[in-house]
Amino acid sequence: MANKSIIVENISKKYLLGKNTSKTLRDSIANLFNSAQEVEEFWALKNISFELRRGDVLGIIGKNGAGKSTLLKILSKITKPTSGRIEFLGKVSSLLEVGTGFHPELSGRENIFLNGSILGMSSSEIKKNLDEIISFSGVEKFIDTPVKKYSSGMYVRLAFSVAAHLRSDILLIDEVLAVGDNEFRKKCMTKMDDIHKSGKTIIFVSHNMNAIRNICDRVLLLDNGKLEALGATDEIINRYLNETASPLEQITSRFIKKIEVFGNTVSEDIISGQELNILFHFVDLDFQDAAIIRVEIYNRSMDLLFICNNRVNGDIIRIQDREGLVRLNVKNIPLMSGDYFIKYFIKTDGQGVDTNSKYVPFSVFNNNFYNTGLEPSSKKGILLNYEYLNF
Amino acid sequence: MNKTVIDSNKKSFEIGFSELLEYKGLLWMLAWRDIKVRYTQTYLGVIWAILTPIITLVILHFVFSKIAKVDTGEVPHILFTIAGISAWTYFSRLLSESGNAFISSQNMIQKIYFPKLVIPLSKAIVGLVDLAFTLLCLVALMFYYRVLPGHEIVVLPMFLFFAILAGIAIGLWVSALTIRYRDLRFLVPFLLRVGMFITPIAYPVSMVPEKFRLLYYVNPMAGVIEGFRWSILGTEMYWTGVYISFGVIILLFITALIYFKSVESVMADII
Repeated sequence: MANKSIIVENISKKYLLGKNTSKTLRDSIANLFNSAQEVEEFWALKNISFELRRGDVLGIIGKNGAGKSTLLKILSKITKPTSGRIEFLGKVSSLLEVGTGFHPELSGRENIFLNGSILGMSSSEIKKNLDEIISFSGVEKFIDTPVKKYSSGMYVRLAFSVAAHLRSDILLIDEVLAVGDNEFRKKCMTKMDDIHKSGKTIIFVSHNMNAIRNICDRVLLLDNGKLEALGATDEIINRYLNETASPLEQITSRFIKKIEVFGNTVSEDIISGQELNILFHFVDLDFQDAAIIRVEIYNRSMDLLFICNNRVNGDIIRIQDREGLVRLNVKNIPLMSGDYFIKYFIKTDGQGVDTNSKYVPFSVFNNNFYNTGLEPSSKKGILLNYEYLNF
Repeated sequence: MNKTVIDSNKKSFEIGFSELLEYKGLLWMLAWRDIKVRYTQTYLGVIWAILTPIITLVILHFVFSKIAKVDTGEVPHILFTIAGISAWTYFSRLLSESGNAFISSQNMIQKIYFPKLVIPLSKAIVGLVDLAFTLLCLVALMFYYRVLPGHEIVVLPMFLFFAILAGIAIGLWVSALTIRYRDLRFLVPFLLRVGMFITPIAYPVSMVPEKFRLLYYVNPMAGVIEGFRWSILGTEMYWTGVYISFGVIILLFITALIYFKSVESVMADII
């Protein structure tokens, strides 16, 4: 038992679909005589079990509808599990939304007290932290103005500042970090890190793989309400990303039979700073006209890195027969080692737009972009040729 | 270190008073928010809290005293009526606000856990502020008519308590039912309008025909308002009737709690 923080045993949650729960009296009376109601069962979660020790930071990932929010709602006691048992050791706070209960007519300061007490802080706790909350939010000047006059950025920053000062042993957090501008986001991540370092147990749901990677020690992957995997952060994130992207052979869309992605020559690895080739096998075309192909390259956090579009660079693509090959060639690719994804859009006159429903994955290997064998350790952004000049 | 257990198999019935105590900060905060918000952006502000009962008083006094010629004995009709209005306004406002209480807090209910009882209770506190203003008017009028309360005034807190209990009980019923049956939103204003006539606000119970009298007190507010008036103005009171009203209130309160508890756990799913 020592050091345990959360024990989740066989949690399941069933929803009844097709049953209108907020009915009118008439329906209820009608149902007294006609009890056979058409209901369909839907298991939003099925037999989820896991344990966390004090100080663990668990990320929960999964596709939309995989059950992430339901799990968080059950853990936060907002809704009851259909079966199963959960034990928490320590004070629990949940943060499914920033600014719950904020009232537009009240001032920033008043809303701090209101929101704080909704989140479960005592008024003495709020008073103690008031100055810090206000200065963290950066809206000191408007703190006595009704929040309906705030910009949405100010609103969210104030709301997050209250939440950031929660001092519970266990924190359950939904995707709430994706707020504010870059600077504020950085501030939030630092705050999360501090909270982590002070030994709090955190469960964190997010779509942002970077955020997950930055703060989580372990990751739980949900798929269709089932626990698909639980393990080390990088391992699970890679597994998840590989599942969402499909193998190359399976990539097909209306105009594309096959895509090949390679380095300097066919079937060669793609090396950082060398060539990237993407070969499109066109099929079933009934146009003789010019086409526009836009290729977008994403990294693992699904940040768009760059776009190759022949509408912009002026290249003309013509395919004379019903089938044909088009190759996109990028010299000196500015990508660090790691996994990347391709999304393409093909536009033809009068034929609509064709796009891939699943991302096309490829890997880049590091081979001395800077002749030092090094690359930025943060693995963010792209690589450029630059030099520092000394005067 | 505190330990929380969520167990789907646990079916025991608890009202959770200790938990409610933990959330008393939230209870006051919500009440304070409602009071604060109600009168911001209104030109007259808190004056409305005095103005509304006075307007009601003037109308009721005119209709019942000048047109219907109701006899209230030694007590001036206007005093007689405002004592009734004070308790009735508290009750009716609590009831009409309870209907939407959970629905308007929908967002909170779906985003964070807290004992839901806090919401109707906070409405009961908010109402007390208006009640205080009405009672202030009553005191002012008593000064004007040079009427002093007798020793019965010491029992007033008991009637006040039952007024609050009645408001919470029926408010709880209404708010819990409205989650499933939105029909209540139409029904409540109608019931309140009827209630106003079958409650002794501007006329004494002695005007009610003898054979209906016991039935009359099944209206929980009948006993409460009689009691209010008896303890403040020393008018006559029919204790058996008051006991009937109190019994009804206690019964409503207990059943409301039971029904509310059965809805509470699924509230976030069905609201």
